[in-house]
Amino acid sequence: MGTKILLASTASPACDDAARVAFDLAKRYNANLTILHVIGIPVRGFSNTVIDIRTGEEVVCDDDYIEWVKEELRSIYSIQIEQYKNCIMESVPGVPHREILRFARKNNTDLIVMGTGAKKECIETAGYTRYVSGSTMQAVAKAARCPVLIIGRPAASFWGGISKIVFGTDFSKAADSAFMFALNIARKIGCRLYIFHAINILPFDSEKIQLQDEIEDKIKAAKEKIRKKYVTRMKDFKNYNIDVWEGVPYVEIVKFARENYSDLIVMAHHARDSDLNKTRLGSTIEQVVLRASCPVISVNHPDKIGDL
Amino acid sequence: MTEGTLCNKIPVNTIEKLQALLTDKRGQVYYKEMKQLEVDTPALVKILQNTLKSRLKTWLKICVHCGLCADSCFFYLANNKDPRQVPSYKIQSTLGELVKRKGNVDNEFMRMAMDIAWGKCTCCNRCVMYCPFGIDIGVMFSYLRGLCFSQGFVPWEMKIGSGMHRIYQAQMDITSEDWVDTCDWMAEESEDDWPGLKIPMDKMNADIIYTVNAREPKYYPEDLTQAAILFHLAGENWTVPSEGWEETSLAMFAGDWEGCKLQVEAVYAAMERLKARRMVVTECGHAYRATVIEGPYWAGLKSGKTPIESFHYIEWVAEALRTGKLKIDPAKKIKEPVTYQDSCNYIRNAGLKEAAREVMSYIAEDFREMEPHGEHNFCCGGGGGLNGIGRYRKQRNAGLKVKRDQILATGAKLVISPCHNCWDAIRDLEEVFKIGIRWSFLKPILINMVVVPEHLKPKDE
Repeated sequence: MGTKILLASTASPACDDAARVAFDLAKRYNANLTILHVIGIPVRGFSNTVIDIRTGEEVVCDDDYIEWVKEELRSIYSIQIEQYKNCIMESVPGVPHREILRFARKNNTDLIVMGTGAKKECIETAGYTRYVSGSTMQAVAKAARCPVLIIGRPAASFWGGISKIVFGTDFSKAADSAFMFALNIARKIGCRLYIFHAINILPFDSEKIQLQDEIEDKIKAAKEKIRKKYVTRMKDFKNYNIDVWEGVPYVEIVKFARENYSDLIVMAHHARDSDLNKTRLGSTIEQVVLRASCPVISVNHPDKIGDL
Repeated sequence: MTEGTLCNKIPVNTIEKLQALLTDKRGQVYYKEMKQLEVDTPALVKILQNTLKSRLKTWLKICVHCGLCADSCFFYLANNKDPRQVPSYKIQSTLGELVKRKGNVDNEFMRMAMDIAWGKCTCCNRCVMYCPFGIDIGVMFSYLRGLCFSQGFVPWEMKIGSGMHRIYQAQMDITSEDWVDTCDWMAEESEDDWPGLKIPMDKMNADIIYTVNAREPKYYPEDLTQAAILFHLAGENWTVPSEGWEETSLAMFAGDWEGCKLQVEAVYAAMERLKARRMVVTECGHAYRATVIEGPYWAGLKSGKTPIESFHYIEWVAEALRTGKLKIDPAKKIKEPVTYQDSCNYIRNAGLKEAAREVMSYIAEDFREMEPHGEHNFCCGGGGGLNGIGRYRKQRNAGLKVKRDQILATGAKLVISPCHNCWDAIRDLEEVFKIGIRWSFLKPILINMVVVPEHLKPKDE
């Protein structure tokens, strides 16, 4: 009832998987689905000229053009729309992550669904990378008040068919919201919740190579922390596992999810932009999304965790 | 009198009229109508009688056609020294001719004047530096733009821009509500990373009232967040006004004198209402020129000064770094060669070149000047509204060559450009010529290198 799902679409095949999940979810919850396509990045000073995100071409973005783009969207998703009519098309000019966030905030969106296929090259040509560290996805995941479901690779299974959720934690405040969200879903669907933490053993993060004893002590401590921080809040919910592995965090979480046939990874993406600039790879979440074989959902804020 | 429905002598004052213009793709109908637009000679004579004063009359008369201004004009240099691009020729053949003929000119003449006033001059005022008589052709072109505007001969985007200011008191369709909401939004977005950060709205008696360029709230409000972070780190007592927050003036570029006055009066009213000690404007060149340099005269302020002391962002940064309000982490200084784009509007026309050099001395290890630089720097190639006018895109792109060569000669791959217009032109320059440069405002560069005091860091358990 009244659940609002926003599919942020690049209107290209890169978003097909995300679209499938978004329609699937909307149907399941009888939600209001909005498909938002950010047309392009404003260029040429104050004029209404934009560089089209898909083609990289210069277009005049007036009402006519916006209508035409919406029509295009309707035709791209015509098969899905036929099966699920409660959806509207929206199209605006602007910098993609900013307009997705603006729309979600204005419309009190409950869930953003997006792919990772935004054409980064095009955004870079337009010279707007200064506003975004990494991809549109990272910027949206970081700032959105609602959960952001990211479909990186064609998912093996979808919402509803979920039997195993991995909650990856770094024990941050943002991870608290991700945990509550994961727990709510696990309760609702009645599936197993894996609480997972990875000890980072990369030498440049710690002063020297760590001894195995040290690592094992850290694993023990992390497990204790999980019990204190999360298990105490689960009350009667018993369908869970606690696992702590050592390695490179994004690799470990992807491996863990794969080995346990997980259907969904829940985590918080809250790295500061200035920190992201330092790492060549971008955030952990970006790497997880690109590598995991299941969808990843990012939750940073408590605002919307009970609404799905 | 033949007046078009879109192209006419009446400024845009209603949303409906503005919409009608916006739906006319690339101004096709507008420019078609312009060909039929009749010149109202009596009106032109009247406006000349009222506004063409001794300074301009003298300038027009005393020009001896020596041609010393020729090499000062980037358009002249970029167009193989085409004599039709010599500044004195450009102004004598338009404004000079119009005055000589006492306003007795036809439609074709006015369209020619428009094409030169907007398509061959960015009002960068560089030529005056080289004129032995000190004739300021940029100022005369601004005046000519005003005459053209009054007769309806103004590029489509400029007519829209002037309309935006008249309707929204901003160069884009941002209402006060939109603006206030955007400030709330940006504060909310940064609360996790910057505990205690606020964007104070309409706070009385603050030390700083901060004003912006409407493109920031419209498309990249991160700029506002970055300004807030830097004020926050510097411990400033600052505020933004809910009304009168927009400093830019497309009305100035359009030659819409009435619109210019309305716009600056909105900003001055905010200054007086909130009783701030001083005003700081975002990284925008023409906003500073319009509001701080020209504005007081438009608003009829006898002092020739804004109601409170006004600073460009570069001046605030210089002060914050000098006094230690902001500290740079020496390890994070820019190591690579870096150059600085002197914006005509606050460097040449307001004398702030020292502030820019001071900032660069704190943040860069290998700062390289363009040649020439400071008040002698060339226009970015997109000033005076040229960036946004589709009709003159070809001319604009050709003119960018001069800036391209200046940047290439420095060997720097990074250009700091604290001016929206210059930033745009350099962005477009890379798109056209692909010389492999990056460009940036100051704020994002500073955010990455300032020392964050321990008590302002987020506490993560």
